[in-house]
Amino acid sequence: MSPSLYVPGDGPLHRLPAGAKLAALAGLGVALFLVSSPIVLGAAALAAAGVVAATGVRLARLRGALAGVAIVVAIVVAANAWLAGWREAAAVGARIVALVLLGYALTLTTRTSDLLATLERLLAPLERIGLADAGKVALAVALVLRFVPELMKQAADIREARAARGLRVGPVALVVPMIVRVLRSADAIAEAIDARAYPPCKSPPTSAIPSSTGPGSADHDNA
Amino acid sequence: MPETAPRATQTSPPESMSIVLDHVGVTLQERPVLRGIDLVLEERRVGIVGLNGSGKSTLARLLNGLVLPDEGTVRVHGLDTRTQARAVRRAVGFVFQNPENQIVFPIVGEDVAFGLRNIGLPKRDAEARALAALAAHGLDGLADRPAHTLSGGEKQLLALVSVLVMEPRIVVLDEPTTALDLRNRNRIRAAIAGLAQTAIVVTHDLDLVSDFERVLVVDEGRIVADDAPEAALRWYRENRA
Repeated sequence: MSPSLYVPGDGPLHRLPAGAKLAALAGLGVALFLVSSPIVLGAAALAAAGVVAATGVRLARLRGALAGVAIVVAIVVAANAWLAGWREAAAVGARIVALVLLGYALTLTTRTSDLLATLERLLAPLERIGLADAGKVALAVALVLRFVPELMKQAADIREARAARGLRVGPVALVVPMIVRVLRSADAIAEAIDARAYPPCKSPPTSAIPSSTGPGSADHDNA
Repeated sequence: MPETAPRATQTSPPESMSIVLDHVGVTLQERPVLRGIDLVLEERRVGIVGLNGSGKSTLARLLNGLVLPDEGTVRVHGLDTRTQARAVRRAVGFVFQNPENQIVFPIVGEDVAFGLRNIGLPKRDAEARALAALAAHGLDGLADRPAHTLSGGEKQLLALVSVLVMEPRIVVLDEPTTALDLRNRNRIRAAIAGLAQTAIVVTHDLDLVSDFERVLVVDEGRIVADDAPEAALRWYRENRA
């Protein structure tokens, strides 16, 4: 199971609007950086685990994803312990764990489309002054969420292919074919998005059914 | 059967209900992929077969403006794919060979609704129509599933449903049964057979197009046979197998 994906449910967290959850995550994220006590941060991490448990998703199902996070946390904690001491390392580790778990709680209980709609609303002021295209940012986020599991599968395929030939998998052996595959996929995905009437119309159609010339027939574009 | 001239020179049906390719040529990376294609497609079921690299997928991509001709014009219901691409893409749905690359959103229901949102449907309406479309193709109950957890056949069906929900007049399918097992191949075949729309299918699966109205054989960028399935497929087997 990918931790970045919505799991259907009807608990309180599922019913909470995406905007409220996103605001809570942002607020708690800032608060976690204002606190430096490892005890308080440890308690926050435990509370975050409780929030994930409240989603109704068993923590055991997140084991694979959490194992990856644990490796990153272990490296960060070790580096901090060496550079700044154990107290600081414990605080940093607990902070990351709390943030990651809260992020999981958000994505596990929020449909991608709701998350993106909220994101588009948040970016609307920036779009009005020409600093961002909210729709494109939202689509980019959707693609990231969509292709995280795909990339993990591709990495597993590459590892398997090398293992089948008796070869070890070093970082270069993994990364280079991954980049080639991702670039190939990117072209195909861009084509598929084009084929599905992207970018969106700004005005609602009178009907989604194309007539002999379709509602958009007056469009003269050079897409 | 001798190599035949394309039918475009033989008939001139009403352009508003057909796809018309007028002396179309396509060059990709300095290599001519299609040359001098004159064609009128007005049948409800058209198959396109040919060897790998023959140009058949490029021919299919021309039909909804994914590829634009370097020479000549392609018109769909009278719409020029070069100047009216958006309207053409609404009229012609395209199902890609690899469904993995066609699924844009992580959740099945959201992916089906994506195209509907692009044409301006409100969120609630788009979701309702997506659910109905999934149910109509036996995928009800999968709306909340992560798309990457579907089987190969389910992904291919999802790709088809994502296109059909837009209610295009024509559906182009590029090798829709490649890499599918017999059961899923039959599901896709049944789905194509049940389409109300015109279906144009590029395939290596000759059985898939054996009951179509018309089959084109593409070879080295040209249409070398264009006939009823029995005759066209016999020509293909005898000359290119």
